[in-house]
Amino acid sequence: MSMEGELLKSLSKKPITLRYPYEKAAPLKGLRGKHSWDPAKCTGCGMCARVCPAFAIEIFGKGKEAELRVHLDRCTFCGQCEESCAPGALKLTPEYELAAFSHEQMVIDFKRPNGPPQQT
Amino acid sequence: MSKGTSFEIPIGPQHPALKEPESFTFVVDGENVVDVKPRIGYNHRGIEKALEARTYLQNLYLIERVCGICSHAHVFCYSQNVEEAAGIEAPPRAKYIRTIVAELERIHSHLLWVGIAAHEIGFDTLFMYAWRDREVVMDLLELISGNRVNYAMNTIGGVRRDIQSDVAEEVRKGLQKLEERAKYYTGICTSERTILRRAVGVGILKPADALTLSAVGPTLRASGIGRDIRRDDPYGAYDEIPFNVITHDGCDVASRVIVRLGETLEAIGIVRYALEHLPEGEIKVRAPRTVASNESVSRVEAPRGELIHYIRSNDTDKPERYKIRSPTLGNILSVCKMLVGGYVADIPIVLAAIDPCFSCTDRMAFVDIEGEREWHMTGEELRRYGIKWYEAKG
Amino acid sequence: MTMSGELLQLAEIIIYPGIIFIFLVSFLYEWIDRKFYARLQNRYGPLYTGPSGILQPFADFIKLLAKEDIEPEAVDRGVFRTTPILILFIPLLGTLLIPISGLSAVVHFEGDLIFLVFLLTLIAISIFLAGWSSTNRFSTIGGVRAALQMISYEIPLTLVLISPAILAGSLSITGIVLWQSARYPLIIFQPIGFVVAVICFLAELERVPFDIPEADTEIVAGWMTEFSGRKLALLRLSRDVETVLAAALLSAVFLGGPAGPGPPELALFWFFLKMTAVALIFTNMRALFARLRIDQMMNTFWKYILPLSLAQVFLSELISLFLI
Repeated sequence: MSMEGELLKSLSKKPITLRYPYEKAAPLKGLRGKHSWDPAKCTGCGMCARVCPAFAIEIFGKGKEAELRVHLDRCTFCGQCEESCAPGALKLTPEYELAAFSHEQMVIDFKRPNGPPQQT
Repeated sequence: MSKGTSFEIPIGPQHPALKEPESFTFVVDGENVVDVKPRIGYNHRGIEKALEARTYLQNLYLIERVCGICSHAHVFCYSQNVEEAAGIEAPPRAKYIRTIVAELERIHSHLLWVGIAAHEIGFDTLFMYAWRDREVVMDLLELISGNRVNYAMNTIGGVRRDIQSDVAEEVRKGLQKLEERAKYYTGICTSERTILRRAVGVGILKPADALTLSAVGPTLRASGIGRDIRRDDPYGAYDEIPFNVITHDGCDVASRVIVRLGETLEAIGIVRYALEHLPEGEIKVRAPRTVASNESVSRVEAPRGELIHYIRSNDTDKPERYKIRSPTLGNILSVCKMLVGGYVADIPIVLAAIDPCFSCTDRMAFVDIEGEREWHMTGEELRRYGIKWYEAKG
Repeated sequence: MTMSGELLQLAEIIIYPGIIFIFLVSFLYEWIDRKFYARLQNRYGPLYTGPSGILQPFADFIKLLAKEDIEPEAVDRGVFRTTPILILFIPLLGTLLIPISGLSAVVHFEGDLIFLVFLLTLIAISIFLAGWSSTNRFSTIGGVRAALQMISYEIPLTLVLISPAILAGSLSITGIVLWQSARYPLIIFQPIGFVVAVICFLAELERVPFDIPEADTEIVAGWMTEFSGRKLALLRLSRDVETVLAAALLSAVFLGGPAGPGPPELALFWFFLKMTAVALIFTNMRALFARLRIDQMMNTFWKYILPLSLAQVFLSELISLFLI
């Protein structure tokens, strides 16, 4: 009978679970989520593709013309690409709702010079 | 032994009592367990081979995924191992931060275990409450490292992120709540009559058996033997932080509960001390890309017991051979000893009491004791071998 | 006249307060049980199907009906197919004996209390047959445990249900309710009896701490392991109907059932109020304890519960001789 007190207290408290998707937990700062890319800073060095442990980043082209493709379904969100990016062009944002219905929807193509990156 | 009334029950590979696949075939007579035959290897993923194909930096993230609950212990061991092989040493601040994350992970693992053990004896309410309070420590780890599991905090030569003072303040507040909840659970588990009836006197492991069957971790300490790598072979910052090694003499499941909850309270104390005495300085040193030919062994006290890693490097940027021996492998023989002579109803709780993490455990080695034969199989050959084995079994 | 009288009787049995009404009430009580259980654990429970999740049990039932019904080769076909139907309809038959919408039940005769206890035994035997006919190792263990459990709780349960009958002077549930509506609820003289009855019914309904026959972490699903699809839907519905039967029986025999102050139209309201109170007690017990082992359960029942129920019967005899 030891937990009875706790049980009765819970009846008067608001439940701890969230009514997803109507209520969502705010991600804490520093959460490693989806990638973001600043084409102005990228020098096309290719370090991100080389250090990725899951081989999730592909680089097309060289130097200031380079474009990226990130396979979110292979990515382990370790952040090594962000750490190895010397100019600070590739960063991980706290966006974590990344589920999709097919593999094609999980690939991000970062292109230039057409402005914001497109997700196919 | 059997008078023709015994039959075999397969617990596993798929069973609601096991969170991870492993096969235990029990020979039971009514409600009494007469014999148990374990077969391990169902969760083998070829990680040791995969480690040899990636650089040291990429391996950090692969090693994390050996296990979800003790992931930081594996990376801690790995980074120490590679640093020793390369001849560098992490700075003091990095060692303290590694210790803090390791102890927070210990709290997380033990709270998770309390929930699972409660679920195994049918006490779903305690399961829900323990996992609710586990969210506190997971949020703290997300704040420190950026992810709730697989923290990716370590790098070769130190840690990747620092703990700022506002983060440290949040950690202190969270620890306050965790301490109060851990004390509450200790009270419940020692006073709730139905739990005591299921846990006291169940799964006895005498100290002599524990030593001969190579038990490790809380399973060993609940039989009264106080062995703890953090004290016997200090690593990280443990040689500078005072703490107690919790043991208990009961040798049964209830003692293991008490040991684990006691370790949770100790871990809270260690994190508080480490936060107070965090040394200033840099958080990592530059690591070389290739590591000279060397061999190294490193040991860590994971939440489940003693974890041993071995590395052999060969002057390239990829390891030549990496070997992991995880604590559950050491505990499997003891669990077989504990199960024989008990009841069928006690099987799940005794299995859960060693805190099995079969993901960590499974490595494959065929050993031909008499001859010299060695087996090397590809994935496809292994699959065909498995199909033939099951067909032959009937 | 007799034709429409018989038609009325048939409508009472099938629609209200008979079979269809009891099915709807069972879904309602499964929802109440799940919501209360969840709130005790500081979480929400069913939430999205219907307002506040009230359609969830119904949705689960429909989903199971639509699933594939797999029958293993080695089962004893006749018994395997009949037992889910038996386990569903026997408690339904029992609910016809309990006054719901008025002070007398749809079917009542002298001795229907004993008949109800007999029905409870039949349920337990059907459970054992269900487990045995499945010829699965886990089902066999589950079925044997169910039989052992029945042996332990049956005698205390019978005794503790008879002792209100001693005070009311009638072995018919309707008679007991009528006696209570004229005087006061019998729980005043039967506190031990009520507690023992709740514990015995927890064992009969296979709820924690006595859900040993279907212990899901030990023997997968116990005697229910091999049932799937439509048969499993019937078994899950039967569990809810049994809960309604147990709560209704306890509230009728100890708390006075539909009897209460106010006009006779309020009978249904009083009935629901008391039944909900008993159902909430069941749920609270479910959330509070861990599961016992079968030998510990038998120990508890034979050493403690049986003497308590004997004491209660003795006490009732004394009270009926000297007080009332």
